[in-house]
Amino acid sequence: MDKRRIIRELAAIVGRDWVIADSGELTVYECDGMTYLEKAMPDVVVLPDSTEQVVEVVRLCDREQLPFVPRGAGTGLSGGAIAVAGGVIIGLNRMNRILEIDLANQRAVVEPGLVNIALTQAVQDRDHYFAPDPASQAASSIGGNVAENAGGPHCLKYGTTTMHVLGLELVLASGEIVQLGGKTLDWPGYDLTGLFTGSEGTLGIVTKVAVRLLRQPEAVKTLLASFRAIDEASKVVSEIIATGIIPSAMEMMDRHIIRALEEWLHIGYPEGAGAVLLIELDGPAAEIEAQAKRIEQICVRYGALDLRIARDEQERALLWRGRKGAVAAVGRITHEFYLQDGVVPRTKLPQVLREVETIAERNAFVIANVFHAGDGNLHPLICFDSRREGELQRALAAGAEIMRLCLSVGGSITGEHGIGLEKIDFIPLMYSPEDLEAMRMVRAAFDSSLRCNPGKLFPTTRSCGETNATYRPHRIEREGLAQRY
Amino acid sequence: MNSERLEGRLAGIVGADHVLAAESCAPYAVDDRVPEAVIFPGDAQELSEIMKLASSERLSVVPWGSGTKIGFGGIPARVDLVVGLTRLKRIIDHEPGDLTATFQAGMLLREVQASLHTSGQFLPFDPPGYERATIGGILATNSSGPWRHRYGSARDLVIGIRVVHADGTLTKGGAKVVKSVSGYDMNKLYVGSLGTLGIIFEATLRLYPLPTVERTWIALFLTGEAAACALAQILHSTIVCTRVEFLSSVAAQSVGGQSGCVVPAGTVAVALSVGSVPEAVDSQITAIRKLCHGEGAVAGFLVEGSAQDGLWKAICDFPSASGNGRTWVMLKASVLPTQVVGMIHHAETLARNLGLEPVAISEAGCGIVRLYWMDTPGSAEPDPISIATGVEDLRNWIARRGGSLVILSAPPAIKAGVDVWGPVGNALFLMQKLKQQFDAQGLLNPGRFVGGI
Repeated sequence: MDKRRIIRELAAIVGRDWVIADSGELTVYECDGMTYLEKAMPDVVVLPDSTEQVVEVVRLCDREQLPFVPRGAGTGLSGGAIAVAGGVIIGLNRMNRILEIDLANQRAVVEPGLVNIALTQAVQDRDHYFAPDPASQAASSIGGNVAENAGGPHCLKYGTTTMHVLGLELVLASGEIVQLGGKTLDWPGYDLTGLFTGSEGTLGIVTKVAVRLLRQPEAVKTLLASFRAIDEASKVVSEIIATGIIPSAMEMMDRHIIRALEEWLHIGYPEGAGAVLLIELDGPAAEIEAQAKRIEQICVRYGALDLRIARDEQERALLWRGRKGAVAAVGRITHEFYLQDGVVPRTKLPQVLREVETIAERNAFVIANVFHAGDGNLHPLICFDSRREGELQRALAAGAEIMRLCLSVGGSITGEHGIGLEKIDFIPLMYSPEDLEAMRMVRAAFDSSLRCNPGKLFPTTRSCGETNATYRPHRIEREGLAQRY
Repeated sequence: MNSERLEGRLAGIVGADHVLAAESCAPYAVDDRVPEAVIFPGDAQELSEIMKLASSERLSVVPWGSGTKIGFGGIPARVDLVVGLTRLKRIIDHEPGDLTATFQAGMLLREVQASLHTSGQFLPFDPPGYERATIGGILATNSSGPWRHRYGSARDLVIGIRVVHADGTLTKGGAKVVKSVSGYDMNKLYVGSLGTLGIIFEATLRLYPLPTVERTWIALFLTGEAAACALAQILHSTIVCTRVEFLSSVAAQSVGGQSGCVVPAGTVAVALSVGSVPEAVDSQITAIRKLCHGEGAVAGFLVEGSAQDGLWKAICDFPSASGNGRTWVMLKASVLPTQVVGMIHHAETLARNLGLEPVAISEAGCGIVRLYWMDTPGSAEPDPISIATGVEDLRNWIARRGGSLVILSAPPAIKAGVDVWGPVGNALFLMQKLKQQFDAQGLLNPGRFVGGI
């Protein structure tokens, strides 16, 4: 491509200040939150400020046959926003306005670059909030949440992003603007809003999002229970659900995480605790009081070492402190870690966690676990040190083993981070060639040029891969652990 | 293919006992179009073989659960073969601790519920036609009822799906876990697609625990506006309702009467249920009662136990159990919650001008309204074209306010005069491309979906 001419043309669309082509500045865009497996430098980053500018940029890409990658805040953890073989990154951070708040109908319409937490902040003094709360909500954008169908601790009760998205405005790879759904429910036709949510930027660029807002609950109650072993804590999770209680969050941390947190934050988890369970209830005060009593009884029955209940907002923040710092704390006990994102039916948690432990022992390294226990969404952190011969390779192999384990019990290889670049070689473990072909048909209907975030999500083959994606071996393939199909 | 040869080939797939010959097919007509054969596969493999045959012979196929929603959609372009799914009626698995279960599509909803109740759980589906509806039919139409207020609709509850495509290919989407972002969310594509992209034969769904106690408060109001004010306050409070319905006067009299409430003519009703632990139910019902009273409710009834079951069943099954006259057209409007009562007023005026009795039942918190335009006693038979025009008028009124209106059922003479679905917006070309990708020959339910898909 004639890079200088393209940059000039992009600058004419968005203004010179909003085109990044300097190699030093582009470094910021060479990866997203997945900093440890893949990196790639885009040719240029462009930051449009309106739907019309997005259209013009996309039309330019279409004319010049350039692949492009939509990008929000870059907090994704599977490489979904990494550039592929150069091309253009279309950053949506400047499109961060709240266009409408309709509290009477509990709806809002926002631009994709709006930071997740900003929407809640805009309505919280009027007793409402936006329920999807990915751990990165202080930085991640709502457009990115839509692209990844982001989860978060509270989606146990309130569902992932898709449950809260009612309508979308998109710019397709052809430059056409389409409106999907709207502020009302059940638009006639196929549920393209639902189909688009979680499509990882491969079907188009979101330029507006209509979302549902929820009324803040009357009361919130947060409990922290410690157990000798992860097995007991897992059984407590299943028992709570089987009793008929659906907490708003149920998060678990294992002994490795507890140790890392204790060394750092000195939270004061009891001596000998092998698992900590954080449970949050919300709803009518009378309901959660009764439910908390039941949960206390269950915890005691399964041998809880310690049970704390937050008395006020300050104590609640304290109980959450460990959970929120968990991944960062692991950095203190390992040189590097590989964060996995498998899901299993929650009744399989004890069995699967035992097997994860076996995988760790066999490979002689630590796998720390912090996870959304209520959803069965595991986040094993495979600790390794790439300076040691063969250890990266063994970490990647252990990750693959964990994915297979999740699938063997009926689960999924990703609960909230997506396939991105990281898992494209593993998606065939979950879906047959026919299943994947059906997804490709969807892709073809939206973007027959395959110019929108190419090389992501689908396993690309050497021989008949996506035409616009230059073949680039996956890290796992380079390590000799897997072959492309 | 002549009909005898077709029957023979179909019998070769499923056995002669599971094929209806041409002369017995009349009960399976769709908008008066009678199929050449009806076939009942016993498993996914047979279903796949049927679609391979249909594909090679270019036979159009209408999937059929129990037929409660067969009135949905436009008049079919062709009906060669009806594929009945009632033999696919097994629970594949149910793990109470995971709150998930996998069902075959032909299973009756009431059998699903009976089975789940033994574990203290339920599937929060309560669409119109509850008693006879199948899981597959509910999913294909994304049909919903009062429980939607708390639990969402089918599109929110399906976590895994298996379908057969037009060419016989069997595929799946999702998994048996409540949270998965592996690949596209194909569940969303098939749910509500009226069988035009594939036939759903199995689905994994999210379940919920039965509440310890559930009680319902019915409040009567002299005007829709007063009811709307009470509803707005309740919806914006911290009260967590399980079901929230607004019933226009005829519906209030009909279904209220069935649950033992005295509903004077001309009053409208709101019915609100709360499900939780007993102390939380009592305190919230008290709060609801006070809010309704404050907005001028003229009467109120606490309904529980079997009366409560009867009330909600009557709401779902309206008008079948009510003894009301013939319904000429059944509509579904989707508007913003604040627009519900105003829209119902407008729809009532239009219907009365046509000499019809208007009835409205609304999931008011969701903005979903079911409208029935029914016979009034002793009146002359209405003209289908006038009804079609009335529907078009109402649709325009709603569209100007950002909502949509579809016909759920109507005689073919009315359907011929007005688009069943109405305008779809500027994404129709994407839907047509999807149809082209999934069913290039146009065999699945041709002509019944939006834009003639």
